[in-house]
Amino acid sequence: MSEAEVLQPSSTLDLGWMDRQGEWGIRAVPGKQGLSLADIQIGSYGEPEERSDNQTGRPRGAGARPNSYRIGGYAVMSKSEIWLDNASFLYEEALQRQWSSATDVPWHTIKPLPDDIEEAECQLATFFTEVEFVAGDVPARWIASTTPDFFEPRQCLLAQVMDESRHMDVFRKRALANGGGLMQTSGGTAGVVGSIDLARDFTEMSSRLHISGEGAVLTMFRMGELMAYNEAEKAMYRLCAQDEARHVAFGVMHMRYMSETAPQRREEIQCYLDEAERQILAGSQNPAGTQTDSSEALAILLGGGKDKYDEGVRKLIAIRKRQVQEYIKRVRSTGFGDRFDNGRSQLIRTFDDHAAA
Amino acid sequence: MTDKTDDKSPPQPPPPQTAPPQTAPPQPAPPNLKWMGKTHQWGTRVKPGKHGLRLGDLNVGIYGEVPPVWTDQTRAPRGAVSRRGVPPLGYAIRDKVDLWADSAADMYEEAIQRRWAPAVDVPWSTVKPLPDDVERSICQVCTELSQYANADVESVTYWQSQMAYGYHEIKQFLATVSFDGARHMEVFRKRALCNGGGLGLEGPGEVNRMILESRGGWTEAVLYLFIVRGLFTQTMYRYLHRYAHNDAERTIFAHCLEDKARHLTYAIDHLRYAVNHQDDQNLILQQLCFIGERVLVRELKDVVLREALTIVFGNGISEAEEGGRIFRRMMSDYITRYLATLKWLGVERRTLFPEELSAYLKAS
Repeated sequence: MSEAEVLQPSSTLDLGWMDRQGEWGIRAVPGKQGLSLADIQIGSYGEPEERSDNQTGRPRGAGARPNSYRIGGYAVMSKSEIWLDNASFLYEEALQRQWSSATDVPWHTIKPLPDDIEEAECQLATFFTEVEFVAGDVPARWIASTTPDFFEPRQCLLAQVMDESRHMDVFRKRALANGGGLMQTSGGTAGVVGSIDLARDFTEMSSRLHISGEGAVLTMFRMGELMAYNEAEKAMYRLCAQDEARHVAFGVMHMRYMSETAPQRREEIQCYLDEAERQILAGSQNPAGTQTDSSEALAILLGGGKDKYDEGVRKLIAIRKRQVQEYIKRVRSTGFGDRFDNGRSQLIRTFDDHAAA
Repeated sequence: MTDKTDDKSPPQPPPPQTAPPQTAPPQPAPPNLKWMGKTHQWGTRVKPGKHGLRLGDLNVGIYGEVPPVWTDQTRAPRGAVSRRGVPPLGYAIRDKVDLWADSAADMYEEAIQRRWAPAVDVPWSTVKPLPDDVERSICQVCTELSQYANADVESVTYWQSQMAYGYHEIKQFLATVSFDGARHMEVFRKRALCNGGGLGLEGPGEVNRMILESRGGWTEAVLYLFIVRGLFTQTMYRYLHRYAHNDAERTIFAHCLEDKARHLTYAIDHLRYAVNHQDDQNLILQQLCFIGERVLVRELKDVVLREALTIVFGNGISEAEEGGRIFRRMMSDYITRYLATLKWLGVERRTLFPEELSAYLKAS
């Protein structure tokens, strides 16, 4: 018999595979939010084991073939490294709240602005165009190196990559929509020690990206009304804030899970937070930070012009204080709040000085 | 506004990344405003069209100039003024020929407009109990399709992060592809777990390995992921849509077909670009096809997917003969489209085409 004939279906079926399938008799029922990921976490298809041995890309719960190729080479194989309890919810919410920067932003509301305001707006938009896809590139790398047994967190990260792509384009659109253009980059996302790019561990990356970096940006986006000059900009900040809130929630929930399930790693995580905190106010990845061109641009936007810079700075300081307050609140909720009580965190001192000022 | 980027002043140091913690209230320094006026092109006013303000609309003036090589190793957006002295990030894919497709910006916006959510956009209530052999077969097919989607996700996310920032349209389009992959993984899993069944047996994984091991670069991955495997998957979706057992399955495959069509558009566009702009690229693709087709043939010798599709198409084991005919027709359609696509790309596939695959054409 030639090999060509082997590929043709014979009238006699083997059907041996029917006895080698995963758990049978599963009937997930849609809830009022439709058939969600949480609805199909039932039986042996529910939560994964603490340690995955899946190197073949097998869907969790499917029957295994002993002769299947080991294609994965996955680096993240322990649940505590990436898991969080509400990943299914965050993913479904991300799907429901996708938006289009082409059609959901009322671009026609953008009208000519004074030169200094437009220039400040374009500087800030350039900054966001530059930094937003850090949160696309970096999670993407971790998706490919995480076992599909932990697919729920991976789905969230895939949604995040999509969100960040939209953020990158909405700010590019803003920079080019009103008689301005892109300006100078910050260089703040370069590959230097301590950056998000160079994290060697998922939780390390998440602490910098989700909790510190995106947390600071979330605070800003939430205060977008203060720096927006038209309905288009308000919509941009509002929609981006909605996405960032999910990303930050991912980081918080993951770190909480890590804290509860891998207490032996607590000291290591504290080191990541030490590093992250050094950058919250002084680093160049926070547009409201103390050492960035974008913070000057922000002050002009917040004040209402170059001539009202001081007024803008006062509002900028209020934003920074809020960034710190919200960061502390998030870290406390992850279970690492002791660092603010035992003197380990330098940030609390800065914050206290700030509050007293 | 003047362009101050040609000044001869020494490069500025990159902004500090690991400055010591602040111990005093951070007082804002007086503004230096040196950033003002630093632009390569001012006065750009892109207007939304009837489909809104689309990514491709932004490609005006210098912002639309896409160079053949992107030498900048930072995240400087295309058209922005780069800051000098910034340490490089080490993007591996910096040649336009290795990733470009003119259609990417349009496909990106289309993907966003055609977004869907398996939880709510599939009429799950229309899924009714099926005979056990049919349910087992559809669950088996869904298991393998979910695994295919996983390979899509892992391959695309691996390459996407290595692509230079200057080709942002491609990175952004690929974000939609991996997100589509997430949805496909999810929707096939949901279908397998909603009707008294379960997941089936995992696939053999040989083609998945080939896709993920495309060490020759993204263009090689595109060929294997979107053409060799992608056309096969798309043809399967089309037949599964035609032989669906309920509206839920019809909806699933209709959405997946739409998504897959975008992926193929990009793939064909990119491969065409690569063939037209790189010497001998058609010959390289020909060699890769030669290898890939044999891997595909080996995987197709596994009876599991073939039998499951046969039962689904025939609507039961008892109608396996009819199901087999439909399966062969599906394979013939796939191979016809595969060869036509490669011919259009200028990749000759008459010689050394596997007899096992051409047999389907002869049989039809």
